[in-house]
Amino acid sequence: MPISAAETDALHYGGLSVRGLTASAGSFRLGPVDLTVPPGRVLVVLGPSGAGKTMLLETICGLRPQLCGQIRLSGAELTGLAPERRGIGLVFQDAALFPHLSVRENVRFGPRARGRAADAATADSLLRRVGIGHLANRSPRTLSGGERQRVALARALAIRPRLLLLDEPLSALDQPTREEMRAFLQDVLADLDIPAVHVTHDRDEALSIGDDLAIIIGGRLVQAGPAGQVTAAPADQAAARLLGWVHLGSGTIAEPGTVRAGQFTFPDVTDPQATGTVQVYYRPEDVLLDSHPNDSSGTGAGGVVTVIGGIVPTRPLARISLASDPPLTALVLHRDLERLQARAGDPVTAALPRASVRVFPTALEASHPGLLAPQPGTYTPPTARPAARSTRCRTFGPPVGNPGHGRSSADRGRLGLRLPPRR
Amino acid sequence: MSTRVPGAARRGWPWFAVAMWLAGGLLLAFIVLPIIRLAVAAPPSSLRQAAATADVRDATLLSLQAAAITAGIATLLGVPLAYLLARGTFRGRSLVQAVVDLPLVVPHTVAGIALLFLLGRTGWVGAPATRLGVSFYGSQWGIIAAMLFVSAPFAVNSARVAFEAVDPRLERAARSLGASPWHAFRRVTLPLAVRGVLTGAVLVYARSISEFGAVVIVAYYPATAPVEIYNLFLQSGLTQATAAAVILLIVTLSTFLVFRALASGRLLTRIDHAYS
Repeated sequence: MPISAAETDALHYGGLSVRGLTASAGSFRLGPVDLTVPPGRVLVVLGPSGAGKTMLLETICGLRPQLCGQIRLSGAELTGLAPERRGIGLVFQDAALFPHLSVRENVRFGPRARGRAADAATADSLLRRVGIGHLANRSPRTLSGGERQRVALARALAIRPRLLLLDEPLSALDQPTREEMRAFLQDVLADLDIPAVHVTHDRDEALSIGDDLAIIIGGRLVQAGPAGQVTAAPADQAAARLLGWVHLGSGTIAEPGTVRAGQFTFPDVTDPQATGTVQVYYRPEDVLLDSHPNDSSGTGAGGVVTVIGGIVPTRPLARISLASDPPLTALVLHRDLERLQARAGDPVTAALPRASVRVFPTALEASHPGLLAPQPGTYTPPTARPAARSTRCRTFGPPVGNPGHGRSSADRGRLGLRLPPRR
Repeated sequence: MSTRVPGAARRGWPWFAVAMWLAGGLLLAFIVLPIIRLAVAAPPSSLRQAAATADVRDATLLSLQAAAITAGIATLLGVPLAYLLARGTFRGRSLVQAVVDLPLVVPHTVAGIALLFLLGRTGWVGAPATRLGVSFYGSQWGIIAAMLFVSAPFAVNSARVAFEAVDPRLERAARSLGASPWHAFRRVTLPLAVRGVLTGAVLVYARSISEFGAVVIVAYYPATAPVEIYNLFLQSGLTQATAAAVILLIVTLSTFLVFRALASGRLLTRIDHAYS
């Protein structure tokens, strides 16, 4: 059962603002990271393993010291504050429930530690709201992965947090439980009036839970913005791969704005003044296929005639390998597969819509994916530009107000994010 | 007709297990046989006579008391050090761990002499303590100091292993929920490590009650049970010493087993069930 806004009336309202945040662990360096999460919105931090996602959360909630930067929550400065005084709820990857306490006592732990009244009825009410009221007396050791995460969420919400951080809470769950928990989390987070930051390496999870998306690779904030925008226009090759774009191969800019890659020609995909070699990426689920190569009505102009190399009946989308130059992979619905009556060796026409093709400069990007900022004149990310990785701390002026409450849109844009109002 | 599966293990004598048990059994016998031989060496009448002797009784009680106090002190001071070693990433951690283990390699008579230099009437600690009216030489405090020196590593190491087994994320979860470092330690880490801490205390108790070398140098008198048995052996011979030794053995073993059961939680669970 989702938590309604009325039931969380005691939650504090306010946004999270992170500016120039850096932290380090050994030789690994995180940041500088600039993020703004207005109340009621969910920011998903997406990145591969070892990108620094957990480190970011630990730094925000004070469990790891920050080197530079500012963390403000509800307008109040958190920098230097002990974790127990930040009022941030944190849900761990493996739930991190206290094994010597019952489920109910786990939920009562936070309010007790804060010296608040923590009667069993309140804890039970919270447990019922996350759908596990019947497990209140159980030991965490006896719970399933999904139940453990529900307890962890109830425990984090019991302290009436001003910010909720979720550190890959679904990654240790099996597929059916993960999908069930994903839907549950969507409901819970949608009804919270506090900002939430959810980190994951799972693209589907990120896109189904997040209002906004931030991509971190190698400790660097590559891109941030509304989830749809970031997915449609990744800032570099590494971000593109993370977001499900597939590398087609190298292409050359044959004429202004037009890129050729083997059999394929993609008009209007680069800046008209760009020249040289580029790397071409495409979305495999957007590949248009037509089983009648002589009839161009199915795929439109620009399609190439090729042969089906093989079909892998994966679910929910089947994977079709095309023997084009360069080879192309198409993800199609099974019903479309039946409609096409496609078999290996059959001729087929393949085409890619303009919006499903992105090009990136070759240069260093190919050998060091994710290390280069987008090149001016070639590609413009929609929102945040990656900050320079200086070892010096940036300085900030006095507080400019409560993000999400009264802060001007110009201020938000300056911080790297321009977010739409709460859904 | 049966066919042999290629590569299948041949059934036969489990030579490996037999060899292991043979070697292990020899060691077990070496430990158990002297104890059994000692236990049957003293007739019940001599045990009653020895138990009625004031010196033997006082020495046994002194050993029990001093060992229990030592276990308490070692746990009280050892737990913080164990926690620091388990969680800390401070410079010199290896050195601190080596210092903790030092008493394990120092011969106990050497430890006794070293403690005399420190705690004797002219020692760095002994001199000011004497001025305050506390004497370590030839007193129960000296006995406890000697016991503490030789047994402290057991308290620290046992607790350290227990703390290391507690997932640090639980402490972080506690901190994020509003617990201070002390509250997180008291409510999460310590309860989860309590068996290891108690096991350390039991090991300290067991090691302390059997200590002779360091104690005999720092505090020959009042005599602890091992010292008293040694005295009896020198003065009256094997027969007198045997009865006292069996009494000490019974007391030591019984208290050790009770404490060990307590530390493992079995006895507590049984008592809990009995009263519920």
